[in-house]
Amino acid sequence: MIEAHDLTKRYGTKLAVDGISFTVQPGRVTGFLGPNGAGKSTTMRMIMGLDRPTRGTVTVNGRPYAEHRSPLTEVGALLEAKAVHTGRSARNHLRAIAATHGIGDKRVNEVISMTGLDTVAKRRVGGFSLGMGQRLGIAAALVGDPQTLILDEPVNGLDPEGVLWVRNLVKYLAASEGRTVFLSSHLMSEMAVTADHLIVIGRGKIIADGPVDTVISQATKATVRVRSPQASDLAARLAGPAITVTPGEEGLLEVHGATAAEVGEIAARSAIVLHELTPLTGSLEDAYMSLTSESVEYHSAALPGEPSRSTGAHAAVPDPAAAAPTTGEDAR
Amino acid sequence: MSTAVATEPHRHATAPKPGKLTFAHLLRGEWIKFWSVRSTAWTMSIFFLAIVGLVLLFTLAVLNTPSPEDGGPPAGTPLSPLDAYTPAVYLGQFALAVLGALTITGEYTTGMIRSSLTAAPKRLAVLWSKAVVLGVVTLVAAAAAVGIAAALQALFFGGQDMAVDLSEDSTLRALFGTALYLATISLLSFAFGALLRHSAAAVATILGLLLVLPIVFSLVPWKPLQYILPFMPGAAGQQITMTDAAIEAQNTASTVGADLTAWQGYGVLVAWVVIVLVIAAVLLKRRDA
Repeated sequence: MIEAHDLTKRYGTKLAVDGISFTVQPGRVTGFLGPNGAGKSTTMRMIMGLDRPTRGTVTVNGRPYAEHRSPLTEVGALLEAKAVHTGRSARNHLRAIAATHGIGDKRVNEVISMTGLDTVAKRRVGGFSLGMGQRLGIAAALVGDPQTLILDEPVNGLDPEGVLWVRNLVKYLAASEGRTVFLSSHLMSEMAVTADHLIVIGRGKIIADGPVDTVISQATKATVRVRSPQASDLAARLAGPAITVTPGEEGLLEVHGATAAEVGEIAARSAIVLHELTPLTGSLEDAYMSLTSESVEYHSAALPGEPSRSTGAHAAVPDPAAAAPTTGEDAR
Repeated sequence: MSTAVATEPHRHATAPKPGKLTFAHLLRGEWIKFWSVRSTAWTMSIFFLAIVGLVLLFTLAVLNTPSPEDGGPPAGTPLSPLDAYTPAVYLGQFALAVLGALTITGEYTTGMIRSSLTAAPKRLAVLWSKAVVLGVVTLVAAAAAVGIAAALQALFFGGQDMAVDLSEDSTLRALFGTALYLATISLLSFAFGALLRHSAAAVATILGLLLVLPIVFSLVPWKPLQYILPFMPGAAGQQITMTDAAIEAQNTASTVGADLTAWQGYGVLVAWVVIVLVIAAVLLKRRDA
């Protein structure tokens, strides 16, 4: 369990983390989601005692990380930047880390094969690809067989197989082993299929903290897609203070703020024929965009000719495009 | 690969938890780190080559000292086999200084330090364990290099009265002091590395202190500098590499009157190491890694 209270970090005049409090519970995967520069890495570095909080406290399993007598068996961490001497082989890197806790070569060999590094373990880390570096970082985090795992952007640079492997690993450790897993990412699609619980951070402040489904439903309004030959008639009858209607192509409407049942009843009362009535649920991506739109540190300029982002949601029936990054994922 | 996930983590339920973080374990970790980078082998090789090779080379030079008529030193200046060690140490020390600095700056430039500090989050133990491993290894290596040099010197030049005579007790102290000086210089460089967290900055600083500043100080005709000179790490530390007779001759020639004995001089060098290391330790504890 990780507990942060009023955690604050200031670099010069810049407030990187602004008085955040949260709890990461064991037995589930907690996602730490936020745009670049939101304070995810800084928070994780403070948990690991690498950065000193300007104010506030953070404890792991009841005490500050540095106070544990066997830190690596309590917490394993993969932090964002590579933390490996480039001139050393992967195996020696792991051996040196393990030796500090009296962990033998047997466990080192175990994590090497777990992370799929067998063929490169004797090579110097300097020549590693981003993906191999990530695997080595995960191996180092696992070498102490820790109760708590903190992973900063673990799937960065991994191939699809590696992404799937990390996803299954963290789910297994949390659900079956009851360990605490705290995982940061800026990839919403990854979080949607990996995390059970979400903490969303933007500009150093927590903007949402709850189960994944709750965070999504709270941040996105109900949307219904309606197709009718009498679309303009229907739009007129639906329009109201709480409901907005966006006309689409011929005969198509997107209704925000009303459920499918409400739309259907209004249509029936007015004897309007419907060809389609589809409730749309918001995706995590939409929730994320609506939550963080105020707090993105680095906005990208819209590309010329790009339509402005609609509040559009994805169909509850997964459309192939949205599901593409998670193809092959059937664990849920 | 995902099948491995299912089989592995059950291990912790049955197997006892691995050992705790102790200083002995940290030393073991630092020992592995020390020998698993190429720079260690490189600097060590250069160091042995420099000490052994240069001692033999300079012994040859001492033997071929020109006579007073050809511009050599005045007759009666005693030739000592130890004279060959001074220039060898002067150059060989830089190999160990680079090794000492890289031991810690290599971790900062690569980011390894974050792994080290995660494993030992109280931080200071990382510094001490590194210093112990570096100090012990460099002392053993320097003693071996000096011993090999003395043995080869006796083998090749013993017949020409250029073998070190260990029966004079200050000679043995001077030889051991040479090894001690070299190891301590390596630690001083390590301390600057810990303070500056940058390889080039640390090496430049130690070069400046050992090489450049003494020359500048002796060239600038400003009296106070002459008083500082004997307390610079190189000049002070090298007292212990000299025989008592040589120290006395040097002190007689000196107009400054600092007159440090062998162990006083070494004490000054140790004080340099301690001061820089303590500042580095305070900053290590305070700074973000």
